[in-house]
Amino acid sequence: MSVSAEQRATRHIAVALGLTTASALGLAVLYALGGQSQLEGILLALALGGLGYAFVVAARRLLPQGPFTEDREPLASSEADLEGFGSDFDRLYQDAEGEEGSGQALARRRFLLRMFGAAVGAMGLAALFPIASLGPRPGDALFETKWRKGSRVVDEQGKPVKAGDLKVGGVLTVFPEGWVGAADSQTLLIRATDHAITTRPGREDWSPRGYVAYSKICTHAGCPVGLYQHSIQRLLCPCHQSTFEVLTGATPVFGPATRALPQLPLMVDENGDLRAQHDFDQPVGPGFWNRER
Amino acid sequence: MLIRRLARWLDSRLGAARFARTALNKVFPDHWSFMIGEIALYCLVILILTGVYLTFFFVPDSREVVYHGSYAPLRGAHMSAAYQSTLRVSFDVRAGLVMRQIHHWAALIFIGSIIVHMVRIFFTGAFRRPRELNWAVGVTLLLLALANGFTGYSLPDDQLSGTGLRIAYSVLESVPFLGPWMAFLVFGGEFPSDDIISRLFTIHVLIVPALIVGLLSVHLGLLVRQKHTQFRGRGRTERNVVGSKLWPTFTAKTLGLFFFVFAVCAALGGLAQINPVWLYGPFKAQAVSSGSQPDWYIGWLEGALRLMPPWELRVAGFEIPNPFFPGVLLPGVTFAVIYAWPWIEQRFTKDRAEHHLLDRPRDRPVRTGLGVAVLTFYVVLFVAGGDDVIASHFNLSVNDVVYVFRGLVFVLPAVAYYVTYRLCKELSARARLPADELALLARTPEGGYVEVEPGVEEPGVDEPGVDEEDEELSPSS
Amino acid sequence: MLARRLVVAVVVVAPAVLLLAATAFAGPGKVRQAEQPSAEQVERGRQLYLTSCSSCHGAEGEGTSIAPSLIGVGAAAADFQLTTGRMPLTDPNAQAVRKPPAFDRNQIDDIVAYVASLGSGPPIPEVNPDAGSLSEGANLFLNNCAACHSAAGVGGALSYGNDAPDLHHATAEQIAEAIRTGPGQMPVFGPDTFSDHQVNSIVRYVRYLHEPDDPGGFSLGRIGPITEGMVALLIGIPVLLFVCRRIEEAHERASRGGSEST
Repeated sequence: MSVSAEQRATRHIAVALGLTTASALGLAVLYALGGQSQLEGILLALALGGLGYAFVVAARRLLPQGPFTEDREPLASSEADLEGFGSDFDRLYQDAEGEEGSGQALARRRFLLRMFGAAVGAMGLAALFPIASLGPRPGDALFETKWRKGSRVVDEQGKPVKAGDLKVGGVLTVFPEGWVGAADSQTLLIRATDHAITTRPGREDWSPRGYVAYSKICTHAGCPVGLYQHSIQRLLCPCHQSTFEVLTGATPVFGPATRALPQLPLMVDENGDLRAQHDFDQPVGPGFWNRER
Repeated sequence: MLIRRLARWLDSRLGAARFARTALNKVFPDHWSFMIGEIALYCLVILILTGVYLTFFFVPDSREVVYHGSYAPLRGAHMSAAYQSTLRVSFDVRAGLVMRQIHHWAALIFIGSIIVHMVRIFFTGAFRRPRELNWAVGVTLLLLALANGFTGYSLPDDQLSGTGLRIAYSVLESVPFLGPWMAFLVFGGEFPSDDIISRLFTIHVLIVPALIVGLLSVHLGLLVRQKHTQFRGRGRTERNVVGSKLWPTFTAKTLGLFFFVFAVCAALGGLAQINPVWLYGPFKAQAVSSGSQPDWYIGWLEGALRLMPPWELRVAGFEIPNPFFPGVLLPGVTFAVIYAWPWIEQRFTKDRAEHHLLDRPRDRPVRTGLGVAVLTFYVVLFVAGGDDVIASHFNLSVNDVVYVFRGLVFVLPAVAYYVTYRLCKELSARARLPADELALLARTPEGGYVEVEPGVEEPGVDEPGVDEEDEELSPSS
Repeated sequence: MLARRLVVAVVVVAPAVLLLAATAFAGPGKVRQAEQPSAEQVERGRQLYLTSCSSCHGAEGEGTSIAPSLIGVGAAAADFQLTTGRMPLTDPNAQAVRKPPAFDRNQIDDIVAYVASLGSGPPIPEVNPDAGSLSEGANLFLNNCAACHSAAGVGGALSYGNDAPDLHHATAEQIAEAIRTGPGQMPVFGPDTFSDHQVNSIVRYVRYLHEPDDPGGFSLGRIGPITEGMVALLIGIPVLLFVCRRIEEAHERASRGGSEST
């Protein structure tokens, strides 16, 4: 490498390190003055970039380039070493005097090793059991929500919803009274029309005054089905685009969901408040192994 | 001077000079693509540095608090302590936001560089004997990186990442027989449960980083023991390594790379806003935003969940619900095949020899074609993961987009295989002769030609290639 | 004679002056339509309606097979559709999208007066965003609006080619009108669902979203992980790969001259 090329390289490196120094000082001043994210990022990038440039130019221009060659030793050990390892390991099977064990001794050794294996295996298994403390057993949790017979329908502020509150084409996220925010009980209240409708046979009295209520938890992967497209009466889940028909009991018509959203049967009480007749008639949310038990 | 005296002081206690000499003289081959793994390594260093800083401010607790910090739109809002501490570090801690953003950008680049590195290893056949073990270690490192990425961005307990957690819970629930029990175990009960944020913290900060550091040491240790592979070239054989010595040149180069990686992460961390959790709001189980997306490296799973038709298995009153197939089965098969690939290839090529010289992808048309096809498959899934954003941006019907992608996910990989295969064949069919049939000629000053021994410096002579029919390669001498 | 003229002048001019003064004192948030539209205005509106709207909506707003009835939709709905340019709609099968309004302010007021006269419906709401609470607005928006319009208000896909639009161009009145009338696919949120104060709060927050604080730098469209991933994969990684190439290429060139063994 010629002297002038070295000189040039040295100059470049000096400038780069100067930039680093200035930027680092700038960072300290910036922090003392209150900081600012964009300037922090830029100054840090300049400081680090200067160092990076310095090292790379040094590697390319100032330090020995080579190329150098190194031989590869064969990876496998020599036969002698392997044999040696084997015989050293087999000391496990020698007796107290270092003699090769008799057939009986070997059998005894093997028996002990098997006992040891059983002991360790049992201990390992036992050690797994505290893991079960990490979570309760599912039990009935997935099969019921907080909705009960007569639960009053309330909005997210806890205010009861009256039968006159929603205009036709309106939608609201509701909960059973006293359980605002209960994840499994989140329900979408829709004023689909202004008169009672039957979404499916057997549900003639579930939708008074055109109010339909469905579990908001998508039956595909659990996202809230928040998109009510009222002019085509569809519910769209934003996560994987499952689409449900509001007027036919939230039947899935597109996307990966295979089951309708469970419907909450509604009624209107003497005060004009909306209430649930009873809990959903099936588990809400995504499927699982024994959902149809 | 001082260094020599220090070295003697240490050596008289450790006897390390001999070992240190070997280390300093280690040769590292020089190709630029061998530095990709180092990009990942340095991203990890940056993640640990910024991550430790963040742990001093983050509160891994789901307990409900009321916000009184400086971000006005959320003042008075109810949120978890975890979310509040994230807002605090973003708005009320000097340099907090840039640290958080550098951390997140470094994570995106970390996983990206791991995958580019893995792809390089695959297409050059660096996973062949004796490096099958290191391949398995590397794939495990990728899985751990994915896990840490997902747990990491779920920690702030914001609306967007919470939606992702709900999906993860449902996928876990969908496992036959054990699903609900596993979901309750991991989360500590029914979704969302009060325990998940603190558990994610333990996983993200302690368990997975410990595993990564441990396996990374094995990964690098194997590399040092087995020495790096190298491309064919003049003077390079199966029996040597040609390149820079560790000290000082390689050290300088790699330190330079470290600072550049850090500089890029710092520039992004300051200039490009990432994961603005204050816009998403605190997580509420009943709320969701349209256009919800996971971080890019989970996109392929998201696309699989979206493209899957509404099929599920129902047998004798039990069911295997829909999310199981794209959410558990697909990644399970994916990673099983990736892990097993060195042995799968050995089975088909019957090549169990040691290889320290790398393939050029064009010389392995079947492997290269398969690799490109599989990559295409996952890229299509990845793009499909954003089908709603694609639809709203290009004014298309999202339903149509889904149908189109369902077709593309099968058609494009097949096309990609065919095109790649033919391209490889075409490129490698250019004048290649077996090495022992080549003669190196030199022009004498009188104008005649004389044969010279291979290995002597001769400017302008191309590297000899190897002509193979498909995958048959005789074991190297 | 002069006295009488003076009296007539005062009687004619004074109300005009007072009216002018009244409109000048109406604060920035108050809306124009406080008085009942005059019969002339309704007639002007009817003429405009017959030219531009009746071919789809019927000669008397009763609707046809390709467009709904406008009887009872109210002033708010008409004002929203006309000021956002959604109406007039050239293709009844496509989703109505925001475009430059086809009419000027006065013409819109006239048509709105006519439509409002067809039947009683939601009036143009009185919006006062500054009277709303930013944090209440954020809470209501995230829980009720973000599902379609996205948390950052950039809009989102609905099914079958529709979408919930980007909110960055919506004025305070348009936001309130949309909330109260549920245009297109949007649901309806009446006064018993959201009070006027809650609407003010939502409007205030949506206006904040027009230009939110972006303390982290370039907002990348506030689309989320997609654009963030694109930056990492299309800028971050290629830049670093380029750096690797630069680090090694000169080195490769420099090292062409023979090799030294260890």
